[in-house]
Amino acid sequence: MTKTALRFALLVVSLLFATAASAHHSFAPYEAQKQIKLVGTVEKFLWQNPHVYIQLRGAEEGQEERLWLIECANPGILNRIGWKFNMVKQGDEIAIAVAPMRNGQAAALLKAIKLPDGRIFGNGGPAGPATISLE
Amino acid sequence: MPRIVKSPLLLLLTPLLLTECHVVAQGAAAQAKTAYGAREIGGTWERYPTPFAGSGRDANAPPAPAPVPDPPLKPEHYGPWRAAQDEAAALTRAGQPPATNYTHCIGEGMPGMMAAMFPMEVLDTGRQITIIQEAYNQVRRIYVGEAPPPPEDSEPRFAGNSGARWEDDTLVVETTGIKEHVGYRNVPHSPNIRIAERISLLADREYMQNELTVTDPEYLTKPWTWTWMYKRWPGYKMQEYICEQNLWSADDAGAATLTIDLETP
Repeated sequence: MTKTALRFALLVVSLLFATAASAHHSFAPYEAQKQIKLVGTVEKFLWQNPHVYIQLRGAEEGQEERLWLIECANPGILNRIGWKFNMVKQGDEIAIAVAPMRNGQAAALLKAIKLPDGRIFGNGGPAGPATISLE
Repeated sequence: MPRIVKSPLLLLLTPLLLTECHVVAQGAAAQAKTAYGAREIGGTWERYPTPFAGSGRDANAPPAPAPVPDPPLKPEHYGPWRAAQDEAAALTRAGQPPATNYTHCIGEGMPGMMAAMFPMEVLDTGRQITIIQEAYNQVRRIYVGEAPPPPEDSEPRFAGNSGARWEDDTLVVETTGIKEHVGYRNVPHSPNIRIAERISLLADREYMQNELTVTDPEYLTKPWTWTWMYKRWPGYKMQEYICEQNLWSADDAGAATLTIDLETP
């Protein structure tokens, strides 16, 4: 299998996962194809069920700053892919790849997060992978 | 007071002996991995195959079970069910998925909880088998050596009321008493619904299969059957799942909506 074919196969599998319902609710309210990069400061980090949330004061490059609510998977999924409950802290400067809400709310589904120390984490299988770079 | 080893030969051999012990221990561990008892269903499990991050796959993996078929509902029930499914799918494609029990942080109950969307723990204490689903902290208790109450005497619950018996090395579980609004895949049912499960180990007892059969002559033309499978996940520590702050709810049209103001969730 060529690299291109392999990438395509992986993309198809990823899309299947992305359309699967999460344990709590469908991710259909978020853009299925569009991802944006946000950079900003963490105002709140809520490690809780049914979802972990990051409240971020930040912006897409060239856009006005907004207070974003970023939806993550739940603690169980995140623990299983290497997150820790104290990994994100108020005041952290982070970069994230997200799928914004289709209805224009300042909310988005996390795809990947880059922490102040440079480490990058995904958001688990149901949320699907980042298709934009945080490097 | 520990005895001091005086023999130079023993001192010389000690690292070798320790290494040998280590190899023997490793061998025992490897052997133990496939030495589960024929009825040893206790332990932690993950759904197989899983779309989520898990413990990976191995060469010994059995074929995945077939997808769950549509329910064999009677025509007068199938039409409305199919229409509701299609409408929900269309709304989801449009980005307005209808709110479900999940949206309200309510667990699946039986039989949906046995899909094990998140890891699952089975505790076998002889007369009782307890199944804990990480998703929504759901618990069901199966009483071994008992039959479930007949439907008319079975208090409706999310997990129902379950009795079981061993047939050779297969645990045969019967469940009655499912709440009316607890419907796997939104399939309606009557108070007379019965769920049978045949649970057994396979593939070196590293995997477990659950053959489910739902019978409900008032709604179904024939038994509705499918299989779910699980893979052992030794060492996995179950996590809690309590809906502490649910920012999702249903709007007036029944669509799932997100409250983004954290001050007034």
